[in-house]
Amino acid sequence: MLNPKSKYLQIAFNRSLEEVRDMIAMLPASKNILIEAGTPLVKNYGKKGIAALKNYWWEKIQRPGYIVADLKCMDRGSREVEAVAEAGASAATCLGLSPIETINEFIKECNEARIDSMVDMMNIEFPFEILQKLKKLPTIVVLHRGVDENERNKEKQIPHEQIHRIKGTYGKILISVAGGETPRDVVRTFFNDADIAVIWRSFYESPADTAALAGEFLKLVK
Amino acid sequence: MQLPTSERILIEAGTPLIKIYGTDAVWQIKKIAPPGAYIVADSKCADLASREVQMMAKAGASSATCLGVAPIETIDSFIEECQRFNIDSMIDMMNVESALAVLKKLKKLPDVVMLHRGVDESEFSKEKQIPYYQIKQIKGNYNVLVAVAGGDTIREVQRAILNDADIVVVWKNFYQPSSQTSQLAKSFLEEIK
Repeated sequence: MLNPKSKYLQIAFNRSLEEVRDMIAMLPASKNILIEAGTPLVKNYGKKGIAALKNYWWEKIQRPGYIVADLKCMDRGSREVEAVAEAGASAATCLGLSPIETINEFIKECNEARIDSMVDMMNIEFPFEILQKLKKLPTIVVLHRGVDENERNKEKQIPHEQIHRIKGTYGKILISVAGGETPRDVVRTFFNDADIAVIWRSFYESPADTAALAGEFLKLVK
Repeated sequence: MQLPTSERILIEAGTPLIKIYGTDAVWQIKKIAPPGAYIVADSKCADLASREVQMMAKAGASSATCLGVAPIETIDSFIEECQRFNIDSMIDMMNVESALAVLKKLKKLPDVVMLHRGVDESEFSKEKQIPYYQIKQIKGNYNVLVAVAGGDTIREVQRAILNDADIVVVWKNFYQPSSQTSQLAKSFLEEIK
């Protein structure tokens, strides 16, 4: 579904559905934008929220777009995967911190539901070691630059060694990097061979600037 | 609602229910439960704690859960937000090797520590045991309540209570409504006295 030769900007939405509808309408109609239903949005609205985002984005680009359901599955993955796939999600996430059995089951469920599987390596020191233990690889690995709860000006390193190691070993897996919030961060993310850059903070804080922000970020995406 | 009315029953809105229906799940359960019922929102917070706590509290939850594997900053923020919104904080220690090690790093203690063996895990590798020995270890060192999840038989409930657990979480037998739901709840209740 995603082209490994392209770069993508994943924008996470967490405000109220009314606000998100307006924000999505302001986005440029680009095939390089992935729309994420953030974890708080999912927990607030459930699969109804995912279906709503799917519709808003569809209306904007005039065809079904790519929607990420940031479920952060930790157990009982299957019911959630099925539900969000039905609601129109193109991908779902599972925590790399969950039991290996759960991640294996999650990837299997995603394959059966024909959506992309994303394993979120939040708070994991060596994501590579998790991948080695899995029966099948996920479609996408999500790496983090830091903790959301930290202040934004704290130094956040791009996990470039992890990216190179994962790409070097498992060529076809896609890499997404979360936690870089400035255009400079996004440039570095792509320069370091990641395929997807995840951003949310500036959009969350100034929804009215959505169009300008997205335009600025999109310039960096080839 | 076939459950017996008992102040010793806590009603949990499970994680899949929340992710499928959102906070509406918590709100709807609150509406059909007896007045004053204790509702646990098993939100399993992993980041952005403040927003999740706020929405669960507003929906009527008496407590919310945060993952013990989450970054310490997230757990600290979760506990702080729970106090601000006047709900109990539960830390779910699923897939955490040492619950004590996590508690040691926190700025403030949560109200409840939940010991776990993952639901998926218990289906795929049945040899994994609920870490009963950790209950006394935790209660000996910290003034917190301990909940035990992942055991669903009467025998497991007995064992948890004998080992000093304060809360026993059951779900499998209640997953589908049946004519036995009420009887089942009563028999569990007898065990915890």
